[in-house]
Amino acid sequence: MDLSRSIPKALSAKKKMSKQQLAQTMVGWGFVAVAAILIAVFSFYPMIQAFYLSLHSGMGNNLQFVGIANYLRLFQDATFITAVTNTFTYLIVQVPLMIVLGLVFSVVLNRPDLKGKGFFRTAIFLPAITSLVATSTIFRYLFGQQGLVNMALLGLGIIDSPLGWLTQPTLARIAIIIVITWRWTGYNMIFYLSSLQNVDYSIYEAAKIDGANAIQQFFKITIPMLKPIILFTSITSTIGTLQLFDEVMNITGGGPGNSTLTISQYIYNLSFRWTPDFGYASAVSFAIVIMIVVLSIIQFKVTGDKK
Amino acid sequence: MKKMITAIAASVTILGLAACAGEESTGGTQVGGTQEITAWAWDPNFNIRALNLATEIFEGINPDITVNVVENAQDSIIQQLNVMMSSGTANGLPNIVLIEDYRAQVFLQAFPDMFFEMSDFIDVNEFAPYKIPMTSIDGRQYGVPFDTGATGLYVRTDILESAGLSVADVTDLDWDQLIEVGLQVKEATGLPMMTLDPSDLGIIRSMIQTTGTWYTEEDGITPFIEGNEQLKAGFEVFRRLIDEGIVLPVTDWSQFVSGFNNGDVWAVPTGNWITASIMAAEDQAGNWAVVSQPRLPGFANSVNASNLGGSSWYVLNVDGKEAAAEFLASTFGSSIELYESLLNEIGAIGTFIPALASSVMDQEVEFFGGQRIFSDFADWTQQIPQVNFGLHTYALEDILAVAMQSYLNGQDLDQVLRDAQAQANNQLN
Repeated sequence: MDLSRSIPKALSAKKKMSKQQLAQTMVGWGFVAVAAILIAVFSFYPMIQAFYLSLHSGMGNNLQFVGIANYLRLFQDATFITAVTNTFTYLIVQVPLMIVLGLVFSVVLNRPDLKGKGFFRTAIFLPAITSLVATSTIFRYLFGQQGLVNMALLGLGIIDSPLGWLTQPTLARIAIIIVITWRWTGYNMIFYLSSLQNVDYSIYEAAKIDGANAIQQFFKITIPMLKPIILFTSITSTIGTLQLFDEVMNITGGGPGNSTLTISQYIYNLSFRWTPDFGYASAVSFAIVIMIVVLSIIQFKVTGDKK
Repeated sequence: MKKMITAIAASVTILGLAACAGEESTGGTQVGGTQEITAWAWDPNFNIRALNLATEIFEGINPDITVNVVENAQDSIIQQLNVMMSSGTANGLPNIVLIEDYRAQVFLQAFPDMFFEMSDFIDVNEFAPYKIPMTSIDGRQYGVPFDTGATGLYVRTDILESAGLSVADVTDLDWDQLIEVGLQVKEATGLPMMTLDPSDLGIIRSMIQTTGTWYTEEDGITPFIEGNEQLKAGFEVFRRLIDEGIVLPVTDWSQFVSGFNNGDVWAVPTGNWITASIMAAEDQAGNWAVVSQPRLPGFANSVNASNLGGSSWYVLNVDGKEAAAEFLASTFGSSIELYESLLNEIGAIGTFIPALASSVMDQEVEFFGGQRIFSDFADWTQQIPQVNFGLHTYALEDILAVAMQSYLNGQDLDQVLRDAQAQANNQLN
């Protein structure tokens, strides 16, 4: 409301802009320009170039213009469809799991009477600052045929013979999901924790007086209060999962077969592992972009955020 | 709406994947009278040591040129070459690079202007003939052939003995016979025969090459999967190895190496470049022998010799190419002395024919119980059936790895191979 009323004022002010004001405005634009130019050169120009490239096909530098043939090829490409299926499997299983875990951890760690809060917060956040490649390599050993996971399960008598964590398709997918969840839960938890700090404690007190139990408080107060941040984390997690690369590349290499292959890894394979076809690889990149845009729109709609 | 734009902007950062460049250092730099050239290779125990030995020899030939040896992972070399060559900039490219034979034709055909022709620097007839088709285009020689990928079956003699068997029982077998031996040893000692990575079909590649067959037809381009009886037989052997329970599943190189270094398996059927890694387990000295690679069962033309891996040196068409060509020509291209020290120091067998006649080849290797392993490998090298690797080895192999997974899960093999053929036709058109 305030904004609409101040617009005419601003316009009239613009007319009478003095030299000094102009200089000030230019300085302001100067600051903005640095960021704008950098984004244009390093983000938008490569995007346009990649789109241009995606209309070509061929080996290495011997590219020919093929129009939308690359995009049509996507629909018949069994490997691409496998990669998309795998990626969405991770998305559907892992993102909700991680968000729920992150919420539970943050609520527990936000309790005023909890001892050693700092320690637990650090412990859960720590995986998020470790190197992806290093942790992936460690997990590859943990999940190996004679790795710690198998040894522990054998020792506890849960299994009779070592499980092929990385050599059986379903187990390999589960292993990948475990690793991503371990890596990113703490990261999302920090967002929830910080916004929980802003929730006025008196709301909970009022709820208690009205007789709400802990579960009711969680669903009726905590969740609604955290809704914007849950939306934010679910979008970033969705994007992150669609771009999943390091973990799969380093733990299973996409195998066995293509059962853990992700879209990003497929792009890598098309460009660097197989006969290089940068045109088609760019087309696959744009397929991810389109998916992310569509998913983000759905998430905005579902959570009803009108802003 | 603004948030949406931010989300979109964030999402397209994936495109940055196509723009990741490597370190910036120019190929050849001229400092005063001396010139420095850069060489890239992978595997510190093998290729890097070979380069260092060559550098030592070259110092005595032309001290004005110094060679800067840089170790990079093979994947990273391929990635950087692809990125830099397709960007059309010579900045950051090395002068000399090692490329695996399976990939060489892809680079030579995708970036023909980026390689420097070596025809005038080496004598093609002095190298093993099977290396030439993959290192040249239309009779123009680009690569300096390096190591042979001749395969053998490395076996633990002590474990065989404890199962009441001897080296003679594993010599010149086919895969079915070897599996029978594997079952006997497993029963007697409980040890699996070999490690196997279910995603790595390298072993099938070496099986079908014993019959002179490949994933492609002779043109090196047309996928040959459906109706490829040799490939089908290879798939059946692979599955039998798993079903009989005589393999230790692994998923990467280090698990593969620790499998035999720790004594968890008793056989390693692979290329001779593994010799240095086998010899790393000093406590197993005297307990190893190498016998010929098993044949593919059911094919009369299958021989007890095959190839796995092997690579060659290339000079890139950047500043300093003449110096780089001179370096390769006077070391890997002609120096018998170099090949002798390669054998003595790292057990590397080259494909330079004059060096194969050297007396060093006949030496007895203590680690292998005094066996003359190098002359054995040289004999097997002569028998390797020639195939045209063509362009798509790894692309086809990844398609086949998926097919293998379906087959292991119980699908009909003919159907699986038919699907793989359709996928290959679609992907490689």
